[in-house]
This record gives sequence, structure tokens and C-alpha cells, in this order.
Amino acid sequence: MEPYEIAAAAFGVVMLVLTTRELLHRRMRPVQYSIWAIIWFALILLGIVPQFYSTLLLATQVLGMYTPIHFVTTFSILILFGMVYYLGKRIAELDDKLSTVVQHIALQPATEGVDQGKERKKHPKTQESS
Amino acid sequence: MRTEERLQMRVACIIPAFNEEGTIAEIVRGALKHCSTVIVVDDHSQDLTAELSRKSGARVVTHILRLGAGAALSTGFRAALGTDADTFVTMDGDGQHDPREIPRLLEPIRNDEADIVLGSRLLGQHELMPLYKLMGNKVLSMATSLASGVRITDSQSGFRAYKRIVLDFVMHKQRDYGWASEILILAAGGSFRIREVPISATYRAGQRRGAGVKDGFKILYSTIRPKSSAARTMITGRVDGAV
Repeated sequence: MEPYEIAAAAFGVVMLVLTTRELLHRRMRPVQYSIWAIIWFALILLGIVPQFYSTLLLATQVLGMYTPIHFVTTFSILILFGMVYYLGKRIAELDDKLSTVVQHIALQPATEGVDQGKERKKHPKTQESS
Repeated sequence: MRTEERLQMRVACIIPAFNEEGTIAEIVRGALKHCSTVIVVDDHSQDLTAELSRKSGARVVTHILRLGAGAALSTGFRAALGTDADTFVTMDGDGQHDPREIPRLLEPIRNDEADIVLGSRLLGQHELMPLYKLMGNKVLSMATSLASGVRITDSQSGFRAYKRIVLDFVMHKQRDYGWASEILILAAGGSFRIREVPISATYRAGQRRGAGVKDGFKILYSTIRPKSSAARTMITGRVDGAV
């Protein structure tokens, strides 16, 4: 095995372990986990069995690319662009939600005070002491 | 305006503030002479803005994170809609606006000549306005005028007065300085009457506050883009008063 193959396989294993841990701690949804797991397995496979590249030859030829590595890099970049777009959209959504929460918290104390006041009046012990 | 007339108009003043400990107390005290309620929206200040505002008689609403001027103002509007005020005044917390000019803003509303009154720095003396702000303001005001169909000379002014009916139906969405144009475009689309009155403005030496060049481009983009967020959110329903 060449050093880069060992490095690729080792990186794939580490990432697979980390991703699995995220799933077990319920910080990742199964669908997300499946996508990442496929990517890490492919990386490990390519590290251990580099000949696996040759299986991409057909796809490479159909798309008019010179070598399998062109296929892999081109599609990796496209997928990354897609992910960046999705993440940007998701961050914007979360940013909006965060603002809503911050504004809601800011407006909360006034109503909370009124509600708490009502609750205290109803509480029997409070009524006794008063 | 006579005192009894002022009492008839229940006015709430909303002041968004971020690190304004040097000016906020004086502004709150000045605003309280003309408004029944003063609400300071502390946009996560790191100084004594909230404490000084409270001591000066304002009700303080605090953001636990900094969201920006537009978001602070919409929080303030929501808080103010929970009061019994029928008119709302907004002004900056950095001392640029003079609270003594509040009656001038309220006058057209009291006379039922306008639903929104805009304090225009460009109709007043504006020789001291920094050149880049003056140029930017003119471009943005022109864009806002085109988008709203109403001639506006100072679209970025934060010194304004609104009738309650306007805020019942119109609320901006932009969290940064884009709110100033957005709410005017929304209001004009809802056939609310917009009028400008001249105001003075104080620019402190060495103080670089408010919208910058980058903000200017962002505001311009959000104002002129086709089907802007303002146009899409056009009067979709009554805005909830959260408090």
C-alpha cells in the first residue's frame, strides 16, 4: 500500500467513527448518517483497494472524461457546491429562528411578570400569608 | 403643542440602542417630556445603556444577542403595540436627534394629515452631514422613492412618527439598516400617507455610527431588487403585539 492510500483509509475510518458517534448521541439523523457513511466507506475502499477506481471507468467514458480521477474530482466539487448552498440556506433559516427567539425572550419579562402575579394570587399559601 | 393635546395623544417613543451610555439618559429624559412611554431596546450593549435608561424612566427591552438596528426596532414596535399608545415615535440613541423636535413630528398626525411622519435631515440644515453619508442618503432616498412611488428626501432617517394603524398592519423584516426603506415601501404600498418635516441632526466629532458604505450597498440592493422582501411581505395581516 502506498502512503496516500493508508492516509485515505485511516482518515475514512476516523471520520466513520466520529460520524457513528454523532448518530449514537442522536446529534445526527439516520438519513444524514447514511450519506456520510457511504462517503467514508468509499474513501476506505479506495484506500484499501485502489483498483476499485477501474469500476468507475464506464461512467468516466460515458461522460466523456479522460480518467476516473476526473470523474471523482468533478463530482466531488459539484457535491461540495451543493452542500455549501444547502448549508448557507440552513444557516439563514437558523439565523431567522434565532432572531425570533431573541426577540421573543426580550419581550417575555413583561408578560411573565403579569402571569406570575396572577399565579401568586391563586396560590393558597400566598393567600394565607397575605 | 399644548399639554392637554399631548395627553390626548398617547405617544410611545422607541429608541433602539447599542452602547449608548454617553447619550441615552439625556435622550430618555428629553423624550419623556413629550411621550407617555419610552421604550429603549438594548441590542446587547456592553456598557451601562440599559441601566441608565431604566434609571432615566424608560422601560428597557433587552436582546440577549446583538441582532441589528432593524431587529431592535421591530422588537420595540412589538413592545409598544402592547401599550395603550396610539402614536409611536422612533429616534436614535446616539444623540443625533433632538427630543425637543418630537412635537414637530407629531403635528401632521395630530392634524390627520399623515400616517407616517419622517424627520428629514435634508429638509433641515444638513451642512454638517458627512459627505459620504449625504451622497449615500441621496442615492438611497431616490431608490426608495422609485420603489415606493412617494417622493422621499431622507429615507434613512430614524426619527419618525407612526400612527398605530400603520404598525398594526406593516412590519419590516430586515434586521439591519434596510428596515428604514423597507417600512416606507410597505407603508406606501398600503396607501398610508407619508409626510416629511425638517429636523436638525447632531454629528459628534470622531463618532462613526450608523450605516456605513457596505450597509448602503446592501440597502440599495434590497430596495431596488425586483419583488423585494418588502414587496413580498406587503400587508399580509395584522402584526401581533407580543406584549
